[in-house]
Amino acid sequence: MRGVAVVALVTEPFWQQGDLIALSGGMPDVPRIRLPHPVAGSSAEEMAALADQIVPRLLEVLRGESVADNPPALV
Amino acid sequence: MLSATDDADALRQLHEMGCTDGLPVVIPTPERVDRMVLASGLDADVVLGEVGPLGGVATVAKVATNTVMAGCDPDHMPYVLAAVQAVLQPAFDLSEVQSTTHSIAPLIIVNGALAPITGIASGFGALGPGHRANASIGRAVRLCLLNIGGAAPGVSDMALLGHPGKFSMCLAEAESESPFPPLSSCWGYAAGDDVVTALGTEGPHSVMFVNDADDPDSPERLLRIIAEVVVNAGSNNLYLRTGAVAVALNPEHARVLSGAGWTRETIQQRVFDLCHVPRGRIRLLNPAFTPRGDDADMVRTVPSPEHVVVFVAGAEGLYSAVFPSWSAGGHGNVVVHEPVITGQACEVPFLSGST
Repeated sequence: MRGVAVVALVTEPFWQQGDLIALSGGMPDVPRIRLPHPVAGSSAEEMAALADQIVPRLLEVLRGESVADNPPALV
Repeated sequence: MLSATDDADALRQLHEMGCTDGLPVVIPTPERVDRMVLASGLDADVVLGEVGPLGGVATVAKVATNTVMAGCDPDHMPYVLAAVQAVLQPAFDLSEVQSTTHSIAPLIIVNGALAPITGIASGFGALGPGHRANASIGRAVRLCLLNIGGAAPGVSDMALLGHPGKFSMCLAEAESESPFPPLSSCWGYAAGDDVVTALGTEGPHSVMFVNDADDPDSPERLLRIIAEVVVNAGSNNLYLRTGAVAVALNPEHARVLSGAGWTRETIQQRVFDLCHVPRGRIRLLNPAFTPRGDDADMVRTVPSPEHVVVFVAGAEGLYSAVFPSWSAGGHGNVVVHEPVITGQACEVPFLSGST
């Protein structure tokens, strides 16, 4: 969606699929951050720990202060 | 256009490029593809739509190429075209269907006067193996999804395990054996119209039932078993509760129900009613999917009676089948249908020969 800042969170086994979907959706450069797998089924404690780890970086990427995990697309 | 020294070299290249389903294919030479395009009655560059998840453009020529590769006869081309057009309808949510970790695949059900003439089987082993039309029409659709839609396993088709129905899952309804009107009549078509119905489903789950002609409750027991299979503890239908499900009654089971006064509509209604479960059952098994409310309250798992797709197929005996579904996607895993356009083909050279 044009004009809306976004960062996609993609777990490890789906990283390549994320690249392809971003490409086919016409947004090859959409920022993506890699998460460990699985996230579903995590305990509340594990989820909080993951959020503590990810959210600061996610905010940095949203602000343009840090680069995402995906390299800039070549096409 | 690829070039190869011989058929073996061409097949090796197609395998290496990921353009097959893992099995050998018929080499799509220009002559074979041209004949398949002629069988469509359409121009080669006619666009049918974009195939998700990667958005490849499905032209008649590309569909014809995959139809040749699948081993189809030119007579099968109108069915492949109709099935591809069906799954390209937005309501089918093809990109999501292709991308999910669930093992959903298009179940293709054919109705119409030409299906038996075309060799599309509806009886013994209709879902395979052994019936060329069934195997190759369904396979042609799969090859289109792979090669035009880009659904490569583990890369863009994320089905965790898959199943053999992802190679091909196509059959005709056993109209001449059925006590009910054709399935396609549910979508407003006349008896005899050639129609393809498609629903994304799991593979068939067996429904074993022995009738007792002395027991007036016997037909009801068959419907109870069917409902139990729809809402089996592993089924998405139990947890997501948005999808249509398919029920293939074998002709013997269909007659048990019909003989007791059941119609397709009353069967759909009763299975829908029986597919209500106590909320507590969901909480016990997969609590994350439990809707709010008391555990004793009954929760519907199928959206409406019309979401129970009842058709007649297979041979007579103890076994019918239920096809649970994914029960997800933007449109909720619903039925789509498309008329099969026949009689439009140009004269196909050497039609009686192989493809």
